[in-house]
Amino acid sequence: MKTQTIKNMKKYLLLPAIALAFVSCSDDDVPVANDVTLEFNNTFKGQTIVLGDATSAEATTNTSVEDQVHHFSELKYVISNIILVKEDGTEIPYNVNDLDEGAIVIDQSKEETLEYVLNDIPTDDYTQIIFGLGVRSDLNTLDEVSNPEFYAEAGANDTQMHWEWGTGYRFTKIEGFYDTDNKTLSFHSGSTVEGTVDDESSYIPGFDAYREITLDLPSMAKVGEHSPKIVIEADFDALLSGKTNTILLDDKNATPSVHTSVSMSKYVDNIGGDGTNDVTGMFSISKVEN
Amino acid sequence: MKLLFPMKNLIRSLILFALFSACSSEDTVLVSYENPELELNVPFGFPDFNNSVYTNKPTKYGVALGEKLFHDTKLSTDNSISCASCHIQENAFADHNAKGIGIEGRIGLRNTPPVQNMAFMKVFNWDGNIRVLENQPLVPIITHFEMDSSILEVMGKLEEDPEYIELFNKAFNGEGITADGIYKSIAQFEYTLISANSKYDQVIREAGGTFTETEALGYQVFQDKCISCHSSELFTDQSFRNIGFPLNPDHEEAGRARVTGLAEDFMRFRVPSLRNIAHTAPYGSFGQFETLRAVLDYFDNGVLDVENLDPILKENNNRIPLSEAEKDQLIAFMQTLSDSEFIGK
Ligand code: HEC
Ligand code: HEC
Repeated sequence: MKTQTIKNMKKYLLLPAIALAFVSCSDDDVPVANDVTLEFNNTFKGQTIVLGDATSAEATTNTSVEDQVHHFSELKYVISNIILVKEDGTEIPYNVNDLDEGAIVIDQSKEETLEYVLNDIPTDDYTQIIFGLGVRSDLNTLDEVSNPEFYAEAGANDTQMHWEWGTGYRFTKIEGFYDTDNKTLSFHSGSTVEGTVDDESSYIPGFDAYREITLDLPSMAKVGEHSPKIVIEADFDALLSGKTNTILLDDKNATPSVHTSVSMSKYVDNIGGDGTNDVTGMFSISKVEN
Repeated sequence: MKLLFPMKNLIRSLILFALFSACSSEDTVLVSYENPELELNVPFGFPDFNNSVYTNKPTKYGVALGEKLFHDTKLSTDNSISCASCHIQENAFADHNAKGIGIEGRIGLRNTPPVQNMAFMKVFNWDGNIRVLENQPLVPIITHFEMDSSILEVMGKLEEDPEYIELFNKAFNGEGITADGIYKSIAQFEYTLISANSKYDQVIREAGGTFTETEALGYQVFQDKCISCHSSELFTDQSFRNIGFPLNPDHEEAGRARVTGLAEDFMRFRVPSLRNIAHTAPYGSFGQFETLRAVLDYFDNGVLDVENLDPILKENNNRIPLSEAEKDQLIAFMQTLSDSEFIGK
């Protein structure tokens, strides 16, 4: 905690601020009640997902609306641009312009990534949380110089969330199997759009896979009094059987040739919402613990 | 009373002066860098430069730095390959492999295109996913099957070399080694790679060149059957088209649709330039044709019957019919697009 505070301050080289930081560190023994923990529970219809390879007996299986049995061997996604909303509607953005301090790769195979702690949230009662599935296009440039930590985390050999050719991050990466003969299912999403339509010299008419999720909290998160925990469920049943689209997997759309391109939007709208009628996608709040 | 104000001001000036002079002793260590802009000319008949050439004007040291970086294997994680390993001057800055081969012999997705006349192009790569050349160098640096490094790793290596520090300072006014400096200087170097002095150019400019009879006939056929796509002095209209070439079996390939996500863009590729084409075999987006003859035979025999086939081929029974004589003539004409000065031969 102490080193963290000092490190952040250093960026601004404000001596008075450093002095203040020292002062505030001196009451470190008082328990910090201004943390908010986000817990991500990745499920199939409420049942926490167990990953497994093609023939795994332990892996959690799911059946789609189209009656296709499937399970996952890999499940990762990026959460960024986190905003807590107070009872009176005031938004408290959490390091939304700094991927190192405000974004995370959720990886179902790594327990420690399923919880994310937000520090120093102002004392208040909160009623809503907003976050991005993926990375906002202005930050989605694989800029290692500005965000070395997130860049390293996303690019690790066992994570592979860099999308090199598009110089952006992968927003989701799901590998798995479907049907009784365990055919390969592989879904990666990411944005290819760049620039703005008005500037023809730089505009790439690509796909925007970033989705903003807005969730009302079933009960208030009381920051200051307690360090609340918000349990967020991501129900991956939505991938194939979503509010927007029902997808029947076949040899054309289950592997990268198509979801890197043509049908990616269907999957993305299912898990992240279409941004207009559906702003929750596969996400919901299971509970708030104060 | 009246005097007080000037007095106050005088004192303030003195203090300011003292402050400045205190600083200036340090300021004298700062070198002022002289780095003249290079003069680039738009060759006869060429389109104007793209926007970035004006915002990132090639300079003497910027280009020198870019050229050094382009040839430096430090840009790859194991120091084994440089940009120039795949973009070889004698192949018009393309290479002779079907698909790009990166570190440890890793094979990529596509054929390496020539890096030539980039200053005039508005879209880059086979699928046009880059529009600003300065955004391109990062891609090979980080791509697993190319150089598999990272920009901080590269900067770390360059910082150990005083010669680089000096060059970066000269090129970018004392800013030292930066990621932007890497991207900008490489682009500046590429802007200077202009090929416009082939036999064809000498004929067109009436600068002493003349076509042989076969070449002249080839130019005729070219104007009849090819120029609607391979147009302008760049020999490309820079549009994206599916002309029914054999498909890349790699699942990652979707052509332009990989960028736009549109079904109609499936397996559409940017029309390639044909300048120096005799030196860039094999041909096609993944090097599916060994020779120019093979490309022409394929057009003549008929291309794949795909849904979004370019109308020009569709309206012609999915082919571009060519007699054997026309093929000879076309090949002879395409050879006149070789610029020996450019490829250093
Ligand atoms: C492993 C071989 C390889 C290496 C190394 C490599 N390239 Fe390339 N280059 C390619 C391939 C393949 C493409 C086409 C990529 C595509 O279309 O997706 C390409 C495309 C390009 C283009 C676009 C050309 C056009 O016609 O639009 C430029 C410019 C370029 N490379 C510059 C560089 C620079 C600068 C470096 C070094 C930082 C580099 N390349 C390193 C293989 C390579
Ligand atoms: C309808 C537009 C169109 C027409 C007409 C056309 N081309 Fe092309 N050409 C293309 C496109 C697009 C490609 C790249 C296609 C791919 O790789 O899938 C290409 C590729 C080529 C290549 C391979 C280039 C390389 O660098 O790999 C050659 C050579 C070529 N064309 C020559 C010709 C000749 C000669 C003619 C006339 C007989 C012709 N083309 C007519 C659009 C066209």
